[in-house]
Amino acid sequence: MLTQQMQKQKQLLLSWAAIQFSLLLLLQQAFAGWVIAIFALLLLYRLLSVFKAKAGISLKLVNLLAGIIAITFFLQLRQAGVLHFMLQILLLAATARLLALQHLYEARQLVWVHYFLIACCFILHQDMLIALFILLVFAVNLYSHYRLFSPSVSRLNWLQTGRGILIILPLWLAIFLLFPRLPPFWQIPNVNIASTGLNDTLDPGSIEQLVQDDSLAFRVEFDGALPPRQQLYWRARLYEDFDGRRWQVNALRQNASRQRAADTAADSSLSYRIIAEASQQTGLFALATPVTSSSNVFISPSGLLSSNKPVSQRLSYQVSSSLTPVVLVSEQEQQLNLRVPPGNPQTQQFAYQLKQQYPQSHELVQALAEHFSRQPFYYSLTPPRLGSNSIDAFLFDSHTGFCSHYASASAVILRHAGIAARVVGGYQGGNWHPQQGYLAVRQREAHAWVEYLHNGVWQPFDPTAAVAPERILDSLDSALPEDQRALLDPGWRQLVLLQNLRQQLMHLDYYWSVWVLGFNDNRQRELWRTLYRYLPAMAYSAAVLFSIIIVVLLYLRLTQSGTDNTPQATKQLHRYLGKALAAKPLSLSVSAFLLQCAKRYPAHNAYLKQLTALYEQALYKEDTEALNQLKQLLKCHKAELGRLRRAIKNT
Amino acid sequence: MLTQLHNVEQSLNQVILGKSSQIRLALCCLLAEGHLLLEDLPGMGKTTLAHALANSLGLSYRRVQFTSDLLPGDLVGMSIYDARSQQFRFQAGPVFSQVLLADEINRASPKTQSALLEAMEEKQVSVDGETRALPTPFFVIATQNPLFHAGTSALPESQLDRFMFRLSLGFPDHQAEHQLLQRDSSTSRLELLTEQLNTEQLRALQQQVPKVAASDALIDYLLALVNSSRHRSDMLPLSPRASKAILRAAKAFALINQRDYVTAADVQQVFPYVAEHRLAPSSDAQESRLSQLLLLQTPCPI
Repeated sequence: MLTQQMQKQKQLLLSWAAIQFSLLLLLQQAFAGWVIAIFALLLLYRLLSVFKAKAGISLKLVNLLAGIIAITFFLQLRQAGVLHFMLQILLLAATARLLALQHLYEARQLVWVHYFLIACCFILHQDMLIALFILLVFAVNLYSHYRLFSPSVSRLNWLQTGRGILIILPLWLAIFLLFPRLPPFWQIPNVNIASTGLNDTLDPGSIEQLVQDDSLAFRVEFDGALPPRQQLYWRARLYEDFDGRRWQVNALRQNASRQRAADTAADSSLSYRIIAEASQQTGLFALATPVTSSSNVFISPSGLLSSNKPVSQRLSYQVSSSLTPVVLVSEQEQQLNLRVPPGNPQTQQFAYQLKQQYPQSHELVQALAEHFSRQPFYYSLTPPRLGSNSIDAFLFDSHTGFCSHYASASAVILRHAGIAARVVGGYQGGNWHPQQGYLAVRQREAHAWVEYLHNGVWQPFDPTAAVAPERILDSLDSALPEDQRALLDPGWRQLVLLQNLRQQLMHLDYYWSVWVLGFNDNRQRELWRTLYRYLPAMAYSAAVLFSIIIVVLLYLRLTQSGTDNTPQATKQLHRYLGKALAAKPLSLSVSAFLLQCAKRYPAHNAYLKQLTALYEQALYKEDTEALNQLKQLLKCHKAELGRLRRAIKNT
Repeated sequence: MLTQLHNVEQSLNQVILGKSSQIRLALCCLLAEGHLLLEDLPGMGKTTLAHALANSLGLSYRRVQFTSDLLPGDLVGMSIYDARSQQFRFQAGPVFSQVLLADEINRASPKTQSALLEAMEEKQVSVDGETRALPTPFFVIATQNPLFHAGTSALPESQLDRFMFRLSLGFPDHQAEHQLLQRDSSTSRLELLTEQLNTEQLRALQQQVPKVAASDALIDYLLALVNSSRHRSDMLPLSPRASKAILRAAKAFALINQRDYVTAADVQQVFPYVAEHRLAPSSDAQESRLSQLLLLQTPCPI
């Protein structure tokens, strides 16, 4: 028995240490590295002490440690933010408690704090797999809670547990679907994590690096059919400043991104929903000229989308686009895109020649495209390094480059020829999943192309399409030579089984984000509206169901009272003594129990003896007179009975 | 009359020291008109108890020492030819007495055992085609040595069932044995016992037993207790005869405790002694493991 108790204690301590380790992992964003190390060390110490069956650290030492750590947390409050501070303090409290755990009520507190911390994990993580992990941690905590109160011999009854889960499931779903979505009580802090995706700077080679990343950038659901691949140019950034080597987003645009475009009367021919992955950037994605969007997203005059704060959680928004090119906003914009840095004399020469040959801008662009496709230009993921006159070196020497090289060179040529042009960064194409009905756009689809001003609109021009049309029509893999594909796909990724698994996981994740994360106020309102439409029908069926349940309950009650032959006297006692009678050992008779109580609580001795005598008379002799007296005795001494109940409950 | 019964109990307590609960149970068995089986090691005071009971109740008392060659005729008696009157005359055996002490009953052959058992159940014996009634009250106190002793043949379940109670006296405690050794001899004390309760009074008391009230709820509890033995493989089920015996014993117990109604506690008190030898015939009377188990496992809602 004693060893069993010890075993149970050990199990509980282990499970709590495991929960705190997991919490530490899940909440690591909220902690500085050295704090994580200290916590981990403390937990390890606790684990060791469990295995060696030593007592925990003394309370004094724990208090001292916790005090010091709490003070450092407080000093860094400004840096960490209130939310993180709260999480830090809570986890600190839980760990300190675990280190010096002594009493049952402390363990109870610990379990409840764990519940709270586990719920807090959802502030920082919404990923499906992590959600599963959090659920697992929750289950462990729940089990430890159960073990805490269960007698040490009892085992978990799986059948009963399963039944319990089945019963709670509809309630759970109903709460998820119908509970009002309150706005968050606190500001979720911006996390200092490296942003992913396209940057505000387009270095030579930055896109080459990006395409080797297989992770998801965003997903798109189209309201209608999937548009042809040639139209799937997802605009994300406009690079307008060129310093001879790298392209940058103009400072004006960085600040102006929050302006809303004036509502144009352009038709919105294409409507779609985008679920963007967390990128820690404000920039978002749209096709051609976005016209309308859901309220959480801004459309800038130059047709770019952005959110009002960095995307730190998956973000879903609805856009409708017109498939016409973006309109010139101002004269200033044109001037901005005619600036050329010095250098690259050969390119300059080449541009002048073209300009003389083709005075019309679209003819010139056409000619440029033909130049790229006729001359021996190569599309490569590993272009050679270029010198100081990078455009010259690329155009007339190496002839080998990636999309950013072609876009950059084209834009410079066009600018030299007096045509306003800029480089657009974004994504091209995507992976269409017909069964799930969504387009997955990965970082691998990152792309750069050119827009030039023609008749007051920014005409898109993709020089890559001239060099490697497969890139546009099919995918990057098919556009690259055999030996470079290996760069995109490390060996392990090529395993069919793994690939399938990854695909399936991605699809699951998609449904998760659409149905669970995407279930926002709007959808809930829609659901309520649908429910409202069926209100009469539902009310009827609910009424019918309700009455059936009531009839069944009544029936059960009636049939039970038929077999329920608890004598009146016992019923009376149960009514007045209630739970105190539950303390009676199962096999002990009621009157024997009352006499035991009389012995144990001398204050109630006389009363209990009187009660027992009357009870025996009423029960065993079936004496109605005694029964009435018993009722009187119970009714007139409610205060004494109350005291007795408390006395029994407390022992 | 209950006061006289109390006196009987007190005087018995002076003869057999430190065994008041067993004495009360033995009296209870007598009031319930049941037979008593005492199982114990030799020399524990079984015979003394039987003798003292008979003496203090003013009953005629016979003792039969059972051996393996004891014949039924030795017990019930036989017809002997009387040369003078030239006819057979029935010579009554020791069974024709009010208290019969059947000592070491499990040493006799099964045939003899069953002759006694017929007498116990029917309160009559049939000899030479003639049925003869036994005197009333008729009370058999049988003793038996624990079964593992040499030369014993166990009573079959059906015959054990005829005994309402099985008791074991057990060793006396230190104080009681000390007192026992200090005084001269118990037999002299036995002779000092006077009749405290005459036969009519005993009859009257026995007739009061069925009138003791047993409520529906109590009978339900008793049945729950009995039923709990009926679907188990580790014990024999209790028969309706057993449940009748339990109720009757509980009633007698209530009467001795000067109540006119049976409580659940009464049932719980007598249950081990009435039930254990029916649940497990070969068990040791000292520990009533199975019946205690049933008592523990059956909820008592009243």
